[in-house]
Amino acid sequence: MEWFFYALTFVMALGITSTAVYALYWSSKKGQLRDFDKGAASIFDEAEPIGKPTDFFPAKKKKQKKHHTAAAETRAP
Amino acid sequence: MSEQPSTPTIVASFKPGARADIAARAELSEIDASTRAPLMLFLVSAVLWLIVGTAFAIISSYKLHSPGFLGDIEWLTFGRARTAHLNAVIYGWATNAAVGVAFWLMARLSRSVVRHGGILLFAVALWNIGVTIGIIGILKGDSTSVEWLEMPTYATPLLFIAYALVGAWAVITFRYGKSKHIYVSQWYILAALFWFPWLYSVAQMMIIFAPARGTVQALVNWWFGHNVLGLWFTPIGLASVYYFLPKVLGKPIHSYYLSILGFWSLAIFYNWAGVHHLVGGPVPAWVITAGIAASFMMVVPVVVTGINHHLTMIGSFSALKYSPTLRFIVFGAVNYTLTSLIGSLMAARSVSETLHFTHFVVAHAHHGMYAFFTMVMFGAIYYILPRILLREWPNATLIRTHFWATAVGSMVYVVGLSIGGVVQGLMMNHTSPDGSVTYTVLQVVEATIPYLFSRSVAGILITVGHLAFAVNFFWMLSKKPVSQSSAPTLFRNPEEMELAAK
Repeated sequence: MEWFFYALTFVMALGITSTAVYALYWSSKKGQLRDFDKGAASIFDEAEPIGKPTDFFPAKKKKQKKHHTAAAETRAP
Repeated sequence: MSEQPSTPTIVASFKPGARADIAARAELSEIDASTRAPLMLFLVSAVLWLIVGTAFAIISSYKLHSPGFLGDIEWLTFGRARTAHLNAVIYGWATNAAVGVAFWLMARLSRSVVRHGGILLFAVALWNIGVTIGIIGILKGDSTSVEWLEMPTYATPLLFIAYALVGAWAVITFRYGKSKHIYVSQWYILAALFWFPWLYSVAQMMIIFAPARGTVQALVNWWFGHNVLGLWFTPIGLASVYYFLPKVLGKPIHSYYLSILGFWSLAIFYNWAGVHHLVGGPVPAWVITAGIAASFMMVVPVVVTGINHHLTMIGSFSALKYSPTLRFIVFGAVNYTLTSLIGSLMAARSVSETLHFTHFVVAHAHHGMYAFFTMVMFGAIYYILPRILLREWPNATLIRTHFWATAVGSMVYVVGLSIGGVVQGLMMNHTSPDGSVTYTVLQVVEATIPYLFSRSVAGILITVGHLAFAVNFFWMLSKKPVSQSSAPTLFRNPEEMELAAK
C-alpha cells in the first residue's frame, strides 16, 4: 500500500506545480502583469477614493474631521 | 455645511446627490452583508479559541519554571497542556481568523457576494467540532506526538472535509467575481487555499495513515510544519497587510511590481525551506543544503515585501495615532520583516549549531505566529467588524490596552526567550580544555529559569490584551447598530442602502 501513497503524493506535487506554472502563464496572458499603477489602485473606488483614510478610533470624531477638512477648518472662525 | 472643503468629506460622500457613489457603496454593503453570518461564526469561534489557547499557554509557561504547578493533574501535564495550546491557537484561533479574514477579502476584492453561504456555515461548524474533539483527545492522552499534527486520527478527517468545503467555496467566489484585475492579496489567498490542503493531506498520509519509513518521516514532518507557517499563515497575513495598509491610509501600495515579484518568489522558494529544521540530523546532506539555500533565497521576497510595506508607510506615521487597524498591521508588517530575516540566518549551519534545540526557536516561532500573524489578524478584525455589524467598537481604551499589552508582551516574550536561547545554546556546546562538556544539563536548565520567568510575565501581559479584546468584541456583538452620525470608523451610505443591518 505504501507505493500507492508515494505515487499519490507525487502526482499531487506535480499537480500543484503545474497549477502554479499555469497561473503564472495565465496572469501574463491576461495582462495581469502589465499596468502596475492600475493594479495598485484597484482597491480604491469612487466611494473610498485614494487620499481618503478609512479607519479611526471610536469616539474620536473630531480628529477624523480634522484630518479631512484641515484646510476648511483653518478658514473657519 | 459651511465647512465643506473642495475634497469630498465623509459628509459629502453621504449626500444622496452623488449617484455613482451610492451605487458603489451599496455594492460594497451588499457584499459585506452577504459575508456576515459565516464570518461572525468564524470570528466568534476564533476569539473563543484564542482565550482557550492563552489559558493553556499560561499554564505551560508557568510549569517550565515552577514544574510542580498543577503537576498532579494528568490532563494538564506539560506535554498535554503545551500541545493543547499549540493546537488551540493554530487550528482554533489562527485558522478560524485566517479563513474568516481571507474570505471577507476575497468577496470584497472579487466584488462578488458570498454564494452558497451555507457551505461556509457547515464548514465552520465542522471545523470547530473537529478542533474540539482533537484538543480533548490531546488532553486525554491520545496525541500522535508528531509536531503540528498531534490531533488524534478520529478528529482529522472532519478538519479535512471542512477545509475542502472552504476551498471549493473560494473557487466559486473567485469565478463569479466581477473585478477584472486580480489584486495581489487575491493571489496570496488563492494560493494559500490551494497549498494548505495539499500540505495537510500529504502530511496526514505520509506520517499518520501510512507512515513513511526512516528519516523520510522527519523530512515530511518539517516540510509540513514549516510550510504551515510559510504557505498558509504567511500568505494570508501578507494578503491582509497588502489590503489594509493602503486601504486605511488611502494611498496605493508603494510598488505594485514589487508586490507581484514578492508573491512569485515566495511561491518558488518557501516550499523548499522547511528541512532546515533538520540541520545536523541524519538526513542526506544535499537535502539540508537545498533547504538552507532556499531559506536564504527567502531573503528576496522578504526584502521586497518589507521595502514595499515600509515605503508605503513613510510619510504617514501620524495615521498610527487615529487608526487602530493600522497600529496592529504596521506592528505585524515590521515583525514580518524581522522574523523572516532572523529565520533565514537561523538556517545557516553555524548558527543552527548553537540555536537548534534551544528556546530561541520557540521565541522565533512566536515572533512569526504572534508578533506578525496574530497582530495582523487583530488589525483586520478591527477593520472588518464595524463594517459587517454596522456598529462601532464600544471602547477606544480597550483597543489601546489590547494594542499596548500585546505589543509590549510579545516583544518581552521574543527578546527574553531569544537571549535565554542563546545562553542555553552556548552553555550546551561549551567544552572544557580537556574536551569534556563543561555544564551539566541541570546547570543549563537553571541558567534559563530567569528567561522562562520573563516569558510568563510576557504571557500575563498578552493575556490582559486578549481579555481587553474579548470584552470589546462581545460587548460590540451585544450593542445595537449605531446611528449614522456617530460612526467614525464607518463610512456609511443612506440607511436604506445598508443591507447588513437587516
